Amino acid sequence: MPPEPPPELYGNLLIRRTWGTSRVRPATFSHWSHRRKYTCRVCHSELGFAFRADATEITEAENKAGKYCGACHNGRTVFGHEEEHCAKCHNGNLGYGKEKFSELIGLPATKSGNRVDWGRALEEKRITPAASLSAEPPSDIAYDKTLTLTAEWAFVPPAIFPHKKHTDWLECGNCHPEIFNVRKKGTKQFEMTRILKGEFCGVCHLSVAFPISDCKRCHPSIKRYQ
Amino acid sequence: MKKWLVVALLVSVFANFAHAQTGTKKRRPLPYEYGGVVIKNFSQGAGLAPVQFDHWLHRAKYTCRLCHVDIGFGMKANATGIKAADNMKGYYCGACHNGKMTHGDRKIFAACATKSNGQDMKRCSRCHSKGENVKMDYDFASFTEKFPKERFGNGVDWEKAEERGLIQPVDSIEGISIKRPALGVQKDFAIGTKVETMPEIIFSHKKHTLWNGCELCHPEIFAGIKKGSTKYTMVEIFDGKFCGACHLTVAFPTTDCQRCHSKPVR
Repeated sequence: MPPEPPPELYGNLLIRRTWGTSRVRPATFSHWSHRRKYTCRVCHSELGFAFRADATEITEAENKAGKYCGACHNGRTVFGHEEEHCAKCHNGNLGYGKEKFSELIGLPATKSGNRVDWGRALEEKRITPAASLSAEPPSDIAYDKTLTLTAEWAFVPPAIFPHKKHTDWLECGNCHPEIFNVRKKGTKQFEMTRILKGEFCGVCHLSVAFPISDCKRCHPSIKRYQ
Repeated sequence: MKKWLVVALLVSVFANFAHAQTGTKKRRPLPYEYGGVVIKNFSQGAGLAPVQFDHWLHRAKYTCRLCHVDIGFGMKANATGIKAADNMKGYYCGACHNGKMTHGDRKIFAACATKSNGQDMKRCSRCHSKGENVKMDYDFASFTEKFPKERFGNGVDWEKAEERGLIQPVDSIEGISIKRPALGVQKDFAIGTKVETMPEIIFSHKKHTLWNGCELCHPEIFAGIKKGSTKYTMVEIFDGKFCGACHLTVAFPTTDCQRCHSKPVR
């Protein structure tokens, strides 16, 4: 299992694509502060952010043109790209803004990740993240099939995959077909070793969505669980 | 016995290959990169950079059908095997890029030449530009600035752009296209899905024939004899077959699920 950072750092990352070639400090980004207000799909689908730090070519010009961070960080929705705000992102400090983490107190709790059950928080409308920035958001696909994924090992009970809990935050195209092709009868290829390497469920469930150390959340009837 | 082993090995190799394609996210192309094709069958042998072909510019000016049916370009990069000699004879790129044809009030520069001087080399690099620092005549951002927006692909709703007259793609060129009376266009229809609660696909022939005519899809991609006679799955589409022949790389990508799966579930 990968070591887990403290709750206020879980899902935080530094964007340091140009670090070393530019003098600008790496930009800090915290998922917990953003996911309270926007669903994953807003940034990872509409705005085109990749699922890996530094994989997106975010530039100052693009931001100023209203792309990427600049879609919201424009001085109207929230602070923009003006000089006085540089250090709010470009500070190289992974824990920047952690004093605001206390605002999450009171949300449904879990034992891992941010210690917040984001799924329940959304269901219970304790948080109301925007699902779209667009004036004409795409219609929902009300696909809520729950899959039972048989485990490779005999003593591991199956994993339960609810589509609905995922489509609450994401859209189909976030996972299909790149992460999960829709081939039937194919759980064999997403064994835990590959998930642990950051593939399949591990694309999100190692660093942003609840971590896989929380076995029971996917394998509900697992017994040996701390 | 040996045959068995070979078959088993091949199966396992292909199975691994199929799996290797999933698991992680790919880089999403930037709007101006989407629909970009690198053609390099013979470029290197001729001492030139590969050709960088961008669909966005050509599709704003010509229909898909014109190049992929009348002129005969394949549907996969490097599948056509375009030679300079053929271009000079007026085939492929040379059908328009002949130094004589015009689009609006612009003369279309000629493609390829046997002899070259300094001026010609500059012309070569207008297409043979992959990896070269070439200033293009058209800039994507300013060219598409006024076009209606979409979420994926080029970030442009090409369909609406045409509806609003912002683009008027040419569908026929003299000496190559032969006008035939149009066939009656079928009404939009729903294509059922195999999975319960998945919205059905609304397929519009009208929207497709506008750019593609009939011949681009029928009978090779879709036999099209009787509705339902060609069976296909999303897996095959994601592998570049059927709808995936266009809707993975050039036409709006399959990640825009709801644009096809649009019939509300009852």
